[in-house]
Amino acid sequence: MATNSLISIAEGDSKVRASDSSRLQLSNLSKEFGQDPDRTVAVDNINLTIEPGEFITLLGPSGCGKTTTLRMIAGFENPTFGSILLDNQDISKLTPDRRPMGMVFQSYALFPHMSVYENVAYGLKIKKLPAKQIEQEVGFVLATMSLEFLANRAPNQLSGGQQQRVALARAMVMRPKVLLFDEPLSNLDAKLRSQMRIEIRQLQQRLGITSIFVTHDQDEAMSISDRIVVMRNARIEQVGEPAEIYRHPKTVFVADFIGRSNFLTVEKIQSKTKSGKIAIKVLGKNMEVDAHEDAVTASNPVLLIRPESIRIKRSHSKNQEASGTQGRVLNVVFYGAHVEYEIETEKGNLVAVVSDPKHDEIVPVGQMAEFSFDENRAWLLPSGD
Amino acid sequence: MKLDLITRIVLVCTIAVLALLIIFPLTNILITATHENGRAVFSSIFSSPVTRQIIKNTVLLGSTVGVLGTLIGFLLAYAQTRLEFRGKKILHIISLIPLISPPFAFATAVIVLFGRSGIITRDLLGLSPVLYGYPGLVIVLTTSFFPVAYMNLLGMMRSLDPSLDEAAASLGSSKSKVFVKITFPMLIPGIASSFLLLFVESIADLANPLVIGGDFTVLSSRAYIAINGEYDVAAGAAYSVVLLVPGLLVFLLQRYWAQRKNVVSVTGKPSGRVRNIESKGAKFFLLSIPFAMSSLIIMVYVTVLIGGFVKVLGVNNEFTLDHFSYIFSGIGNDAIIKTTLLALIATPIAGILGMILAWLIVRKIRRGRELMDFLGMLGIAVPGTVLGIGYAVTFNHTTKLGEFSLIPQLAGGGAIFGGALAIIMVYTIRSSPAGQRSGIAALQQIDPAIDEASASLGASGVVTFKKVTLPLIRGALLTGLMFAFARSMTTLSPIIFITTPDTPIMTSKILSEVDAGRFGNAFAFCTILIVLVSLAMSAINLLVRGRSIESLSNPLN
Repeated sequence: MATNSLISIAEGDSKVRASDSSRLQLSNLSKEFGQDPDRTVAVDNINLTIEPGEFITLLGPSGCGKTTTLRMIAGFENPTFGSILLDNQDISKLTPDRRPMGMVFQSYALFPHMSVYENVAYGLKIKKLPAKQIEQEVGFVLATMSLEFLANRAPNQLSGGQQQRVALARAMVMRPKVLLFDEPLSNLDAKLRSQMRIEIRQLQQRLGITSIFVTHDQDEAMSISDRIVVMRNARIEQVGEPAEIYRHPKTVFVADFIGRSNFLTVEKIQSKTKSGKIAIKVLGKNMEVDAHEDAVTASNPVLLIRPESIRIKRSHSKNQEASGTQGRVLNVVFYGAHVEYEIETEKGNLVAVVSDPKHDEIVPVGQMAEFSFDENRAWLLPSGD
Repeated sequence: MKLDLITRIVLVCTIAVLALLIIFPLTNILITATHENGRAVFSSIFSSPVTRQIIKNTVLLGSTVGVLGTLIGFLLAYAQTRLEFRGKKILHIISLIPLISPPFAFATAVIVLFGRSGIITRDLLGLSPVLYGYPGLVIVLTTSFFPVAYMNLLGMMRSLDPSLDEAAASLGSSKSKVFVKITFPMLIPGIASSFLLLFVESIADLANPLVIGGDFTVLSSRAYIAINGEYDVAAGAAYSVVLLVPGLLVFLLQRYWAQRKNVVSVTGKPSGRVRNIESKGAKFFLLSIPFAMSSLIIMVYVTVLIGGFVKVLGVNNEFTLDHFSYIFSGIGNDAIIKTTLLALIATPIAGILGMILAWLIVRKIRRGRELMDFLGMLGIAVPGTVLGIGYAVTFNHTTKLGEFSLIPQLAGGGAIFGGALAIIMVYTIRSSPAGQRSGIAALQQIDPAIDEASASLGASGVVTFKKVTLPLIRGALLTGLMFAFARSMTTLSPIIFITTPDTPIMTSKILSEVDAGRFGNAFAFCTILIVLVSLAMSAINLLVRGRSIESLSNPLN
């Protein structure tokens, strides 16, 4: 125990780290609440492998089953079917206290009758570690989290960010095989939130602890994860790295949930060109675009264009009708670093974001604008749900 | 959440304890009530207007006391939590006094003060009101039992998150609107449970109907007469079954309705401060009833105190120590020591049983939690008279399973320990519901994630209970214990059926003094009892003054 303590891991003992990181597998995991006829399926047959040391985020709207999934991993809910394997051992029958998991709660759940130090030492005391080692490990974690000066405070004397740190320290000091985060940042203000995000990510990478993070905030998911699991209606919608999820979403739902999206209906011309792309006609223009495999066979695919992929310039045409790549500016918002347009086109309204705008190039409201986008930045996906 | 092994063992043991303490005696009373004389009582409900009137009286009394007592308790709790005024602490203490005295001390004092030849009514005002019966019972029972509602609501109001009030106020609600729309709805479960407790307490009360009831017969006094006057156990059991019905009915009604409103408002995060009401008019209005009530209480207890030291209060006001020397020289000594000892044994057992039940119900079991709660509360939902009769018919003889004696004789003459065990059991089952209720209320206010955090840090269910839950509900636990002890010391109705010459109990001794018309002795006895209970309560109060949830919610502590 003393040899591969948290301290030695943090100090970069790579051998310890490799053996200490764990693989977590969810197989056919399902959770139903209630009895017929009021039965609801909270989690529906989820299969997912989380690699050792990986930071994975469960992202989705409320009620999508992400928190239930996390609580099943922690042991607070019993799966209706399926199993949870930690390093190939089924842990789904174990009570929470026997699972090597650390959890950080949305409400922090600090013990209000204990000081910061006592909160962090709690789990180690339960483990009956020698007093000296407890002191050492707690001291180390508090130092890592810059909490030493708060050691004797009561939780209600701390700010939200400090409470969050204590909650993290308390989970971390147990050297869990898997760290679970249940929307831990949702009670913090925006600035603190992004700061804590970075802190959590750095600490996790340094310690190499397999981590699962639940959130409904896409920015959080994008900035913190190795991979994102987008969930919807109790199922997994898509799993992938942040860039892949953002650029190549599998469904309209994912595209819409992650970032902002413009969807254009298109006419398909050729399913597979020589370059492996799909030839389409959109806004009166022919182009070849990348596509999700399901879009190849779909009857009415839609084209995804992210707002930042759209370029805007003032239209000099006498024609005052929205047609083709010409549209009317409905709204302009100047943010300093970028300008955001809402443009009425023949295919519906488009949102465009132009970075670093020159002042005299901003197209005012009511004016006609010519818009364009690089076909390489567009992505074709099957429409509908 | 899966139950770990120790939690399962705890669960099984708890059920076994409940089976012995309450389920078995109740089953027996039901069986006894079906004997011939018992069946005659049941059929008289439909045929006899006398029996019907007794039932009507009982329900009327319970409802009146329930409503009045809850109202007074509410006003007092509100004044304590939301008003600033001089004498706040004293008012609090005075409001608790009725808890620590036998109810018929009150009845006797009220007769001496306000009766037909009362010191105030006849000597001062020249009136001779008819106190015996419904009006006297309402006054005495309301004053005796309102502290139960007060304690219940006080705990609840203290744990309400002030930021909710602040939020409502900042949304433009006036203070009165905040009260009507925010505070009050959150207190509805507390108000409902207060009413329930008072209803059951007052219909179950036996001492006051015997002392001040006059012709106004209620079920409990009828059952008592059946057993102690007519020696008809089956009829007594039958009356107590009839008494059981309204008690359990109100109880279930309240469960079904109040259970749905559970307000989690403490998450371990800091919250704001209560804004006190400043308006003089509102203060005066809100404080008038509490102060009137406390004046009455003081008057009554001064009467009890003085009554113990004069020959015959109001007739011959000559100072004497005769009453005290009578008690200390005779059988009083034994009763004082034995009653205190038995209550001291039962109190911690009851407190722990109540807390374990609360913990199982709120945090551990899902299926059957309603049933568990119900079984735990039976000790108080069942009127004391019923319980006493149940114990008498169950434990007055050895319980045999075939040839094997399963439970030895626990109650009555010739029982083991002179029947002391049965009395401890009654004290325990009567007191544990107080611990259970306060424990449930406290637990429901603690964010479940705190328990989960402990579990995920490797603590088993029992360790979490010991290290996290118990410290957080310690205040509630000790308050529950304090109440339990006072209750044991002052309870009469179940005890009177199982007390033996070997284990004399103070309350039943006082009743015999009152019956014999020796009010002086009764007053002296009451004074001793009040002193004993206050001593024990102060001791517990000193313990509570540690770190409790209230002090933790104040960042300045």
